[in-house]
This record gives sequence, C-alpha cells and structure tokens, in this order.
Amino acid sequence: MAEPSPPPAASFQDRIDALVGSPMGSGTPNVAPDPVNQPMIRHWAAAFEDSNPAYVDPEFAESSRFAGIVAPPLMLQTWTMATPMITGIKGRGGAPLPSNDRSPLTVFDDAGFVGTLASNSEFEIHRYLRLGETVSARTVIESISSEKTTRIGVGHFVTWVTTYAVETGPGEPAEVVGIQRFRILKFKPGSAA
Amino acid sequence: MSHRRTLTLADVSVGDALPELVIDMMATVVVAGAIATRDFMPVHHDRDYANAQGSPEIFMNILSDTAYCSRFVTDWAGPEAIVRSLKIRLGGPAYANTTLTYTGSVTTVDALDSGEADVEVTFQAVNEYGQHVSGTMVINLPAG
Repeated sequence: MAEPSPPPAASFQDRIDALVGSPMGSGTPNVAPDPVNQPMIRHWAAAFEDSNPAYVDPEFAESSRFAGIVAPPLMLQTWTMATPMITGIKGRGGAPLPSNDRSPLTVFDDAGFVGTLASNSEFEIHRYLRLGETVSARTVIESISSEKTTRIGVGHFVTWVTTYAVETGPGEPAEVVGIQRFRILKFKPGSAA
Repeated sequence: MSHRRTLTLADVSVGDALPELVIDMMATVVVAGAIATRDFMPVHHDRDYANAQGSPEIFMNILSDTAYCSRFVTDWAGPEAIVRSLKIRLGGPAYANTTLTYTGSVTTVDALDSGEADVEVTFQAVNEYGQHVSGTMVINLPAG
C-alpha cells in the first residue's frame, strides 16, 4: 500500500488564519475555585484602598441601588485566576501551573515573533456580581492583525476575548456578566526601523 | 456611618476635571495588588527575578491597573455609580518606587429617558518614566 503523501506545509499566514476562533488553554471553561465572597472582596478593597461601601458595608449596600453587596466590577478577572502551584513557579516563567498544553501563540515564536507586549485591555460589564455566584470564563482568539511596523519592531496584534458567565440554575443557560478583550503584540525583537 | 452622595446628571458637564489620584507605588503596593488579584507572576513581587528579566524593579500587574482605574472614577462619581465599560491602552510599566498620578475629565454625558446618565471619562496615568496607561471608562449615574 502506498504511503499517503504528506500534506503540503502550511504557510505562516495559513497557520495564523487557523488560530482565529480557537480557544486559549484547554478549551473548557475556566471555573472560579470559589464563589464571589466577602473575604476576597475585602482583601481586594484593602489592597487598592478602595473605600466604596457597596463592596463591604451590608447596611449601605442594602439601601443602595444595588440592593445588596456587589463585587467590585473590575475584580471580574480575579475570580477565575488559577490557584497557583507556588513550587517551581520561577522555572515556569511565572506560569501558575505546570501545563502540557502548547500555547497556540507558539506559531508566532516559531516564526521569530518571540517578543510579547501587552497593548490593550477592554471590559464590558453587563452586570455586577453578587455574593455566592460562581464565575466561569471561556477565552478564544478573536482576531490577528496583518503584519504591522511598530515603534518596537514588526509584529502582529493578537486579540483574545474572554466571556465571563455565571450559572443560573440546572438546565438553564449561563448568564453572561461581562466580556474582556485583551490585545498583545507578538513582535520580532531588534526589528525596529 | 455616612457615605458620600453619588453624582447625578445635574452634577456633571463635559470638560469637568476629576480629582487627581496619586499612588505612592511602594513595593508593598505592587505586591498587595498582585496577590489580591491572585496574580503570582514573580515580576510582580520578586525584584531579583524582575532584574533578571531586564526590569529595574518589580512592576504593577494589569489587574491592579484596572482596579485603580475604577477607583479613580468611582472615588469621584460616588458609591452608586455603575461601571459599564473600561478601555485601557498600556504604556510603560508602573515600577515600584515611583509615583503614579491619574488625571482625567468628562468627555461625554448622555441623559437617559430614565433620568439616569451615562458618562464617559477619558483619563491617563503617568509616572517618572512617562505615560503608564490611558483610556476611557463609561459609568452610569443614578436618576437625580
């Protein structure tokens, strides 16, 4: 039986086109290890010295337009951050957990775009979270720009979109509570004009 | 305990400047923000690690950035202002042992039929190295 001929090598452009719509990480939703809770909110508010009573004062919150304690809106991303394995974190370049998953972005590194610079973060807050709600997050690559010449070198802007949702009940669809777009530049170091 | 009143439509006009927010970016501030947002990347708490990565100091993580942006706007607007959206563009890092100063002003005011108002604030934060972050936030103010 003849060996099947190998498929033609995909071009770099084909490979980055194929990334659009694909998940970052495992593809399964990342579920917060703990529901929205007062101790973590209090810790957050203390760290940023944010004295908003809607986050920590039940009496104020009940009488406010929120009708109860709400989580700080920009704490949204915090709930689904991975619980880290501290041992070995330096050797993993700061990655919270060991992973066998190959990042989809290695396509860029393989083509020489080894630099990474965070560029933009955008949130749409659909509603505030309440105590007891459990957040999940699903992230997919939304768009990849054509090659751009920037101040720090040539590269591609990569945008991924994370949809944050809470479960509303057995058999009910999850309710989307917020959307985050995050944009990085994958660039070739030393290629600045 | 009394709390500050939240602004309403009658209180805001395009061009109004927000009170400055000045953060003394001590290492403690950088570390407190990173851990409160559950970000354990060593560049946000370990200066030796940051130095080895080519940074002169540890620096603030992005989740802390968005936290300070919301505090800057809601400290001004009041506790019942509702954040609808935030868009930031990142500049240079907010290194420890610098001072980060947020300034901003009202750029749009939309009166809603409900009596509420959607207000856009355009802001920036700078430190000794230059621009750290710039962006816009839209908040909803309650009916007066």
